[in-house]
Amino acid sequence: MMTSIAPRRATRAARDGTPDSHGFATRPYDLVKEFVVALIVVTLLTVGLAAAFSSPDEKAVTMRDWASAAPNDVVATAAGELAGTTKSAGFGPPYNTAANGGSLGPLKLQKWAGVTIPLDSAQDLVLTPLAGVTDNSKLTDALAAWQSAAADQQTQWATDYSDALAKAPDGDPAGVATGDYGPVPAIAAGFLTFAQTGGLEGALTSSGNFYGGDQTKSLLLLADGAYLEDQARARNLGGDQWGMTNETGNYPGQPWMWLYTFWYQVPPFSTSDNADALVWGLMMLLTLGLVLVPFIPGLRSIPRWIPVHRLIWRDYYREHPRR
Amino acid sequence: MVLIADGAGRYISSGVIQISVTNLAIIVLMILVFVLAVVLPFPGRHHDDSSDRDS
Amino acid sequence: MTAVDTGQPPVATPTSWTARLRDRISHIVPPGQALPDRQPAYMSSWIYVFGVLTLAALFVVIATGALLALGGVTWWHVSSLGRFVNSLHLWSVELFFAFMVVHLWGMFWMAAWRGNRALTWMTGVVAFLGSIGTAFTGYLSQANFASQWISTQAKDGLNSVGIGAFFNVLNPAQMLLWHVMLLPLVLGVIVVLHVVLVRRHGIVPPVDAHEETAS
Repeated sequence: MMTSIAPRRATRAARDGTPDSHGFATRPYDLVKEFVVALIVVTLLTVGLAAAFSSPDEKAVTMRDWASAAPNDVVATAAGELAGTTKSAGFGPPYNTAANGGSLGPLKLQKWAGVTIPLDSAQDLVLTPLAGVTDNSKLTDALAAWQSAAADQQTQWATDYSDALAKAPDGDPAGVATGDYGPVPAIAAGFLTFAQTGGLEGALTSSGNFYGGDQTKSLLLLADGAYLEDQARARNLGGDQWGMTNETGNYPGQPWMWLYTFWYQVPPFSTSDNADALVWGLMMLLTLGLVLVPFIPGLRSIPRWIPVHRLIWRDYYREHPRR
Repeated sequence: MVLIADGAGRYISSGVIQISVTNLAIIVLMILVFVLAVVLPFPGRHHDDSSDRDS
Repeated sequence: MTAVDTGQPPVATPTSWTARLRDRISHIVPPGQALPDRQPAYMSSWIYVFGVLTLAALFVVIATGALLALGGVTWWHVSSLGRFVNSLHLWSVELFFAFMVVHLWGMFWMAAWRGNRALTWMTGVVAFLGSIGTAFTGYLSQANFASQWISTQAKDGLNSVGIGAFFNVLNPAQMLLWHVMLLPLVLGVIVVLHVVLVRRHGIVPPVDAHEETAS
């Protein structure tokens, strides 16, 4: 029985002059066999590569690791959170309103998306976790002194202490010049002690929630310090080291990210405060270009100008010389 | 060209370009595979017919 | 004329939803063209096998991911078997991307979007992008140093354009669910669409080929 479909489709050329593929001479070809062979080949290759090279797994940095490897960085970060000078405190949406963040020309996308993950860096990353510490009377007194001070006074103490730490040799709290820092040195020292005991992660991620699945606070705190970035840079993972394409050790990374990470290496992006939004916008534009290649004059003709296809279909062209 | 060798992987650096030896090897291998796929003759091409239509 | 149990598809415009769906399906991919046992004679290059290799690698990626899911998030950090399964997953992904990019190069140089195949090209590119997104959430689900660094870096990029407001890369529980559920589902649908389109139009004829009038 004839269906109404086959004859209508059989020999119709497309608008660009490409004939229907069903109008050509054929030969036997076993698609299912091809797939099964491909599956076996890929499986064997996968098992071979996995057995030969394994996979990377560098342990996550714990707060205790951070506190024992870079105690001065932990103290400086705690003081910075209280002063409101850390990256998270000045980030803007979605955490707070301290900045507008990135923009694409008139499109202030970061600002428009709003504060959906509200975060008070001083309160949520330092003071609240420390509030649960009960066996450190110096810390308890310091926290009480902080709470009873006016906001201006708090900021003054914390900013002065942050600046003094930055001037001290190696940022060592023991080498800080004398000054009026209020309870801030005691709070920062208590924070370091708490991190060293290993209790900080729990206090950050699961306060009020038995199941701590969300690591937003602990990751923001870790990224506010210098230690995580130092570790990453030592492994060539920094943003200006093409880090997006790289993996720890000698393992393969994500080479397909080469173009995205490339823009971060060159001006104007490498020197722009708005690089994140600009690079993202540019990549979306280029990606749209890739999607729309069939419709872009010039771009869609490149395969015609550089005739790799003469090689791919050389058998066909040999048997069908140009008319 | 500078070869940065340390415990954190082998990297090749030249001007603005920096790439891990592993990633470079993978990219070179992919290009090689592409060239071979285009150049090597595909088996099983026998002219057993020329009129049969795939319908 | 009515389509009364003749064992044949109805010729008149069908009215039942089932008949309409069947008609629609056979219109998209006519019978015999879903899995033809013959191909155009011009299909004679190794470059054609990279589409199938990509699809095969995707099967291995999903299978090894399923194995990895058996033990949960922390299993592969503490078990050598888990570590090996993780290695299988990593290397199948590397193969998947390598085959996919070689396939993309091939399709570009063949200008495979010709002959009403633009949607096939576009779904292919979208599948590539979806794969990058899925791989990205996989890196965030590793629960190790790389996850810490990648997530804290990525938050800057994604927040700068407002995406971070609802797609929180610092929340590994959210990222894991995107990685093992939402993105594979979306990617699977796009890949099925891509393959159906390839079968519907058949493989693209050579540039400047003329139909053979073999009458």
